[in-house]
Order: sequence, then structure tokens, then C-alpha cells
Amino acid sequence: MQGTSSGIGYGLKYQARCISDVKADTDHTSFLTGTLSLKEENEVHLIRLSSGGNELICEGLFSHPNEIWDLASCPFDQRIFSTVYSTGEAYGAAIWQIPELYGELNSPQLERITSLDAHVGKIKCVLWWPSGRNDKLISIDEETLFLWSLDCSKKVAQVQSQESAGMLHNLSGGAWDPHDMNAVAAISESATQFWDLRTMKKTNSIERAHIRNIDYNPKKKHILVTAEDESGIHIWDLRKPKVPIQELPGHAHWTWAVKCNPEQDRLILSAGTDSTVNLWLASPSTSDEFTAESLLDSPTRRIDPLLSSYSDYEDSVYGIAWSSREPWIFASLSYDGRVVVETVKPLLSKK
Amino acid sequence: MGVDDVPLDDKAKRMRDLLSSFYSPDPSMSSPDTTSSSSKRTTLDDINSSSFDPDQYMNLLVQKSNLERLLQRHVEMAAEIKNLDTDLQMLVYENYNKFISATDTIKRMNSNIVGMESNMEQLLEKIMSVQSRSDGVNTSLFEKREHVEKLHRTRNLLRKVQFIYDLPARLGKCIKSEAYADAVRFYTGAMPIFKAYGDSSFQDCKRASEEAMAIIIKNLEGKLFSDSESIQTRAEAAVLLKKLDFPVESLKARLLDKLAQSLADLQLNTEEISNASVDPKDLSQEESNPGSAPAATHEASVREFAEAIRAYRIIFPDSESQLIKLSQGVVTKHFEAIEEYVKKRICSTELLHVLRIIWTDVLLMDEVLDEAALPNYSMEAAKVAVKQYVASTFSRLLHDISDSLTRVHVKQKEGMREYSLQTALEASKKAVLQGSMDVLLDFRQIIEDNLELLVQLKPLIIDLVQEGFQDFFGALDDHFLLLSGGNNSVSQDQGFVEGTQVDKAFAGLVLVLAQLSVFIEQTAIPKITEEIAASFSGGGARGYEHGPAFVPGEICRIFRSAGEKFLHLYVDMRTQRISLLLKKRFTTPNWVKHKEPREVHMFVDLFLQELEATGCEVKQILPEGLRRHRRNDSNGSTNSSRSNPLREEKLSRSSTQRARSQLLETHLAKLFKQKIEIFTKVEYTQESVVTTVVKLCLKSLQEFVRLQTFNRSGFQQIQLDIQFLRTPVKEIVEDQAVIDFLLDEVIVNASERCLDPIPLEPPILDRLIQAKLAKTRDQNPVTP
Repeated sequence: MQGTSSGIGYGLKYQARCISDVKADTDHTSFLTGTLSLKEENEVHLIRLSSGGNELICEGLFSHPNEIWDLASCPFDQRIFSTVYSTGEAYGAAIWQIPELYGELNSPQLERITSLDAHVGKIKCVLWWPSGRNDKLISIDEETLFLWSLDCSKKVAQVQSQESAGMLHNLSGGAWDPHDMNAVAAISESATQFWDLRTMKKTNSIERAHIRNIDYNPKKKHILVTAEDESGIHIWDLRKPKVPIQELPGHAHWTWAVKCNPEQDRLILSAGTDSTVNLWLASPSTSDEFTAESLLDSPTRRIDPLLSSYSDYEDSVYGIAWSSREPWIFASLSYDGRVVVETVKPLLSKK
Repeated sequence: MGVDDVPLDDKAKRMRDLLSSFYSPDPSMSSPDTTSSSSKRTTLDDINSSSFDPDQYMNLLVQKSNLERLLQRHVEMAAEIKNLDTDLQMLVYENYNKFISATDTIKRMNSNIVGMESNMEQLLEKIMSVQSRSDGVNTSLFEKREHVEKLHRTRNLLRKVQFIYDLPARLGKCIKSEAYADAVRFYTGAMPIFKAYGDSSFQDCKRASEEAMAIIIKNLEGKLFSDSESIQTRAEAAVLLKKLDFPVESLKARLLDKLAQSLADLQLNTEEISNASVDPKDLSQEESNPGSAPAATHEASVREFAEAIRAYRIIFPDSESQLIKLSQGVVTKHFEAIEEYVKKRICSTELLHVLRIIWTDVLLMDEVLDEAALPNYSMEAAKVAVKQYVASTFSRLLHDISDSLTRVHVKQKEGMREYSLQTALEASKKAVLQGSMDVLLDFRQIIEDNLELLVQLKPLIIDLVQEGFQDFFGALDDHFLLLSGGNNSVSQDQGFVEGTQVDKAFAGLVLVLAQLSVFIEQTAIPKITEEIAASFSGGGARGYEHGPAFVPGEICRIFRSAGEKFLHLYVDMRTQRISLLLKKRFTTPNWVKHKEPREVHMFVDLFLQELEATGCEVKQILPEGLRRHRRNDSNGSTNSSRSNPLREEKLSRSSTQRARSQLLETHLAKLFKQKIEIFTKVEYTQESVVTTVVKLCLKSLQEFVRLQTFNRSGFQQIQLDIQFLRTPVKEIVEDQAVIDFLLDEVIVNASERCLDPIPLEPPILDRLIQAKLAKTRDQNPVTP
């Protein structure tokens, strides 16, 4: 169970929270990560896994004006990404373009395509539609959901529509349904709300408090995974939003992030503030026949869903990302700025 | 004398022989007989034998005998010869005589036959004349005879008519004398006539007799129905009615209906008895006197019923199937009553009592109606009843336990804090153990009872009990889960509506459940296993399925994991509450525009209060662990160097240093120090639980800090609060090093997230803390 330190490490200079898979880069397995330092010059690192798969190479190092709280790579253009940053007092979000690199690594300036500056509250995250080219962008702050239409060539982003979730809801994050361009999930303090972007109306909700992270299953429609502070990981079927279809124990402290594997629909990765990354194998019946089966094996769930636990971290792990190019590889980022890339291949072949 | 006799005998014999040889055609047939008999004596001196040799005989005689004897022999011989001579003469004479008489006879016959022919002719003539005379007489008397015969027939007819006309009167007489059998005989005799002429000539008569018959039938029916009549008469009545072509079937149906009705009465009785039997039993052990009175009446009524069955079997020989149905109905009703009864809270003695009553009933009925196979039938029913009893007993036990658990909840809701968790734990412990033992005792009573019905069911009961325990503990586990409310997916899976259960389990209950699970695993299960092994294994024909019926290992496993789960759940629940507190504390103020710290923030009080509450609950339930004053954590990794002195020093230095070097230092420090194990396994001790809660909360605190950005005052406020926390928190935990580390970590993180990390000067820090302490001291006497 204890993960051996087979992972490939890479050190950032400062503390960091967010890492993202560069999905649009089909030639290499690369990740983008940004540092979170209040007082220093923050950096964005473009990391590439060497062709041998045994080394992480810094492909680009760019300075970023503020500390980065959220970072997302554009799924259709490997040079574009978004960040949410904080100046210490105020929050902002921007779309960046990595300048053309000609082998030089000497911190060229990032090109700011546009700023998403319609926000009043604390911006939480910027979402790209994960399944392909889409000129829309979503940003979520504490109270409001914004739908932007982005034109990269003209370098403008315009607010297409916005909707307030209500003062008290205190949104903290969200996820865009990869199966439906018009559905987005937003996490609030007391529930997870599902929005239809065409009408900007709430369509559904999971009444569950303290959800910290959410991810749609990219392979199975209606299935999504949430991470909660105390009570671990839950797998939900949106058609039955009352009861989770499966519960996983999560972490010893908060479960901070969950990510579904892009290919293996049962494989779930979670990161926690107990300085571990856990790899779970959800029970196979994540569809309708689940209820019948769960009655049989739920009293004594004999199979331990925990495939592996990687505990070789010094601090809380906030960022995890599966590589979409090589879906058996994931990158994790602990608060102390350490990127570790691990492969789950040996575990999968065992199964 | 003998000497004289022998020759006489010999003589007569010889005569006969001679005669016979004379008449018989074959002398050899008789001669061997004589020779053999004589040759026995002497072969040589037998003159009669064909092989007689006179010379030899002479020689022999001369040689053997003396003179005297020879002389004597000579005399004898001479006498003998003379004898023979006379014999011969006599023979000749006799033969001659016979011949003459035969000739005479033939002569007479001849003369007789000559006259016979004429006589015969005469006879023939006479016979002829007799015949002609007789013919004449016959013809002359024929007419008269015809007439006489006709008259005779008419008289017979008239007599019959007379009989029929007399029939009503006769029937009436019969009715009077109750000679129904005769009446029926008469009536059936007259029936054919009525059938033939009833519509015309004998209309009145028929009507009258039918009326009479109606009376008779009525009387017979009455007889049949009256219980006072003897069975014999009733049976006769039934037979007579049948002879009259009366629809006996419907009668039978009616009678059986009546019987069935009486059964309903009987049934009521049973319930009364069972009800009645409860009261005296409940009062005390003096069961016999008050209880037996209704039992006796019940038995009497059952006896009556059995008698009735016996009677009906005789009366209606073909009614068995209905009777069987009826008596089975009785048994079924009995067991239905038992089932009703079992639903109430009864102990095994009461069940046994009722079963015994039923069994005696069954036996009584079986005596008269053994085709019904009532014992088997009731065995099946008893199986069901016992099964139900076992099930209901277990469900009640479950109920009791859950009662004793939820009482905590309710009482606390009512505001009675005095009802401590400890008493709840003790009560539920007792409920589990004592309840299980009582249940076992109960079942043992059933098993040890020698009632035939139950003796045969013994293996089944044993299996049932074992299964019952297995299921019971499974159900208990489920119920615990439900009570804890922590695993809502399970409860939903089982289709429970959560609203009906305790709406939100409070943490103390979960803790009680945790400890109770441990208790069940470690104490109750071994005891129950022992008990079961002692009294529920020698069950004779227990099948192979007996093996897995009660598996203590599995149950232990279930409860071990359940206990751990509940403990974790408890920790989670407690932590969650504090987490909420912390979240509010950190998300509400604008930390970037925080004002200078004036006093320790009140969230610290709340935090400590929560910890205190946890400690209070934990103290009631969990055992005290060995208080380990260790600086090392459970993993044995040394981490003291990461805690206090160095860090303090560094912090004070950091006021002047750049944060960057500080970060570098942290990194460096981490390089050289082993990772501290914050999240260790929770144990069932007060300290372990509290420590875990504190650790988790401090870690949460750290995480919350990391999410904020502070100005200098904000940072100082955090520093102050944490500094204040240090002493009271360390007092209640077992692993102070980890706590120190975590507290430091909070301050470090705050400084990292601070735009201008200048800590408070130690004197100011001290003063503020002292002020806070003084304040709490002031408050303490007021609010205990």
C-alpha cells in the first residue's frame, strides 16, 4: 500500500498550490505549475517529462506578477493558460499566452491576453471546457458565476452572462461537465449547485456541506466525484443526487482535491492535507445496478478500494493532475513546492 | 387249562382254514399264512405244512423223545387223527346240507316266478284305472281351486291395502312408542305402493303417512342433534334418516357447522386461559392454583370436543375429512393465538404453558382422530410459533438495547445533562449482556422442557437460536450504524427513513457506541459463545448447516471494525464542530485590514470549551490510558529538534530577517528532520482520543491560516491566540511534542502568509495572555 518513492521529483523555488496538465500538448507529457509566494517574484513553470520518462525537464520558466491560487491550461492551445492570482488584498484572473520559445530559458515575459476583470469578490477559479475547443470560459468568484466569451486572436474576453449564486452561498470552486457544454457544477458552502449556462439557472443540486473539490468523470456521464473536509470522497450519480453511490474514506485530514482518471473511469486520485496522495479504485458498478449490488456487499465491503497511498511528501498536497496524454501518469504538488510525477502502471497491470 | 385251550383253538382254526381253502379258489393265499404262523413254532413237526417230511419227523421224534413221550405222542396223534376225521365228516355234511338248501331255494324260485307275470298284469290294470280316476277328480276340482286361489290373492291384496290404510295410525303408534325403526321399516315397505298409486287411490293415506313421517324425521333429527342422547341412538337416528333418503349430508354439514361454532367458543377459551395464565405467572411462582382453574375448564371443553368428534365419527362414518379439517382448524387457531400472544412480551415459561395446553388438546383430539395426524400438524405449527418466538425475542432485545441507548439522546434533549453518558454506557452494556443471557436462559428453558412437542423440535430450536444470535448481532451492528447516522448510505440502502430515527446523532452517543462495540467484541461475545456451547450444542440431530449458524469470530470482526469506525466517527464529529468554529473565525474578518491585537480572541475560549466537552464525554466512557510523558511520537521518529527552542529563536529573529531566508531555513530544517507523524492510530483511551481531536483541529487551523493573507496585526493576533492555546492544550494531550510542532507550524504559516511578519514583543504577548488568564479566573467562579 505504501507507495515507494518511484516518483520523479522537481522542485519549485517557493510554495505552490496548483498544477495543471497541458492537454493540448500532444507530443509531450507536460504540466504547468505556478508558485504561491506572497512576497517573492512568482513563477510559472512549464515542466515536461523527458522522453525516457525518468526526468522532469523545465521547458519554460516565466515570471508571474502575483501569487497564483489557481492555474488551468487551455485544452486546445498548449500555449494558453489561465491563472487566478492575489495581490494580497485583491484577487484577479487573467488569460496568458506563453511566448514562442526558441530554446532560451531566460524568463521571458508572459503575454497577457486579457484579464477577467469583471469580478468584485474573491475569484476562486477559471474553468475551461475540458473536452475540446470552445470559445467560452467560466470564472467563479465567491458569489457570482461568469460566462465569458473569449477571442484569443483579438485578445478580448467579454462577459456573456453572469448570475449570482446568492450572498450566503460562498462559492469556492467548480467543474465543467465534459459531456455537456452547458452544464457546470459550482461548490458552495452548503451544497453543490448545477447550472445550465444557456439559461444561467440552477438545475440541480447536491445538498452536502463542506465540499472542497469536485470532478466530473470524463468517461461516464452523470457521474462525479466530490472531496470533503472530514468525510472523505463521495461518488455521485447526478440522476440520484440524494445519496452518494459510493463512499471512499478519504484522508486522515482534509481531502483537498480529487481527479478522475481520463481513461480508467474507476480510477480516482485524491490529495489531502495529511501529506498523502491516495489512488482509489471505485467499485465497478457505478451505474444503475449499483443499488442491488451494494446491498449485497455494503455491510462488509471486503475489497479495499485504496489501491495505493503515496506518502512521500513533506507538506500538504494541494495540486494533482492526471496526464491526458499518458493517462497512467499523474503529477502532484505539495505545498513546499515539490512536484512529483508518478506512474500507476505497475498497480494497474497487477489488477 | 391253557393246554386244553390251545388244541381247541387250533382245532377251530384249522376248521376255518379248511373251509376257507375249500371255498377260496387259491389255497396258496391262505396257506402261507398258516405255515408261517406254525413254522414259527416248529418247522419240522408241522404236519400241515407242505414241506412236511414224515420220515424226518419220525426220526427226529424218535431221536429226541423217550419212550414214554413217544407213547404219549402216539396217543396224541391218534386223537388228533380221530379229530381230523370227524372234522372232515362234518365238513362234508355241512357242504351237503348247503347244497340241498340251495337246490330247494332254486326250486322255490322257479315256482314263484311262474305266478308273477299275471300279478304284474293285474297291477298294471289297477294303476291305469287309478290314473283315470284321478284325472277325473282333477278336472272336476279345477274350477274351484282356481276360485280359491283368486280369493286368496284378493285377500292378500286387501291385507296390504289394509296395511297401507292403517299405516298412518300405525306410524302414529310408533311415534308414540318411539319405535322409529319399525316406523321406518313400515314406511319403506309401503313406499313402492305409494310410489305407484300415491297420486291416485292412496292420496290421503299417503299424505297422512307422509305427515307422520315428517314428524318422525323431525324427531329423528332432534335426536341427532340433541347432545343428551346416547351416541348409539344418535347413530341409529342417522342411519334411519339415511334410509328415508333424507339429505343427511346437509344435516351433517349443519352438525359440523354447529361443531365449528362450538370450536369458536373453544378458541375464545384458549385465549382467556392464556391471558389468565399470564397474570398469576407474573405475580409469582405460585402457578398451580389460580392458573389451573381456567386450564381445567379449557381441558374439559376440549374433552367435550373430542367426544363430539368421536360421536360424529360414529354417526357419520364418512365425515372424517371434515373433522380432520375442523380439528386442524382448532390447532391452527391455537397457534394463531400463540402468535398473537408471542407478539406481546412473554417469557418462555408462559410460552411453554400455552404450548403445553395446546399439546394436551392435540393429544386429546389425536386419540379420537388419529388420521388427522394432528401431532405432526401441530409440530409444524409449533415450529413456526417457536421461530416467531425466537425472532420476536431477538427483536425485543434489539429494541431494549436501542432504548437504553437512545434514552441518552432523549434525556439530553430534555436538558437533563445529569443523565451521563457513563450511565448510558453501563445501561446498554447491561442490556446487551444481561439481555443476551436472559434470552439464552429463556431458550434453555424451552429446550430443557420435556414436552414431547418441543423435544422433537430441539435441534431446530438450537439452530434457530444460533442463527438468531448471528442475525441479531448483524442487526445490532446495522442499528448502531443507523443510530450513529454517520453512514447514511447504508441507512438509505436499507430503506430507512432517516426522519424516523434520531435526527442527528450526537457525538456522545457515537462514543458510547464505540465503547459498546468493544465491549460486545471483548466481553459479550465470548460469554455468549460459551453459553451457547454449553447448552445449545448437544442438540442431537443437528444438521451440517449447524456449523456456520453462529460464528463468533465473524461477529467479533464486525464489531471490532464497527468500534473503530465509531471511534473515528466520534473524532470526526468532534473535529467537525471545531472545524466549523475555526472556519467562521478565519473566513469572517478581513485579515488584511486587521486591527492591532488587544486581547486573546474569544474563539480560543470556544475551542477550549469544545475540547473540554470532548474530554468530559471521553472521561465517562473510555478508560484512562497510560499517560506517557514522551517527547517522541508513536512512530519513534525524533522530532524534538523541530519544536520549540529553535523555532522560537528563529521566529524572533525573523522579525528582522527577510521572509525568504526564513523559508529557506524551513526547507533546510525539513531536510534534516524526519517527518513528524501527526496522524497516528486512535486508541480506546481518553488521551488518545482527545489528542487526536486536538491534532486534527490544529492541522485544520494551520490549513485555514494558509488560505488567508494577513497584515501585521492579523499575524500578531494569530500569534497571540496560539501562544495562549499552548498551555491549556498541552495539559490535556498525551503527545506534547506533536502539539508543539503543530502550534509552531500555525505561527510559521501565518508568518508566511503575512505581508509584514513582525511578531509581538514577548512582554506584550505575556501581558495579554496574563490579562486573559485573569479574566477567565474571574469568570470561572461565576460560571462553573
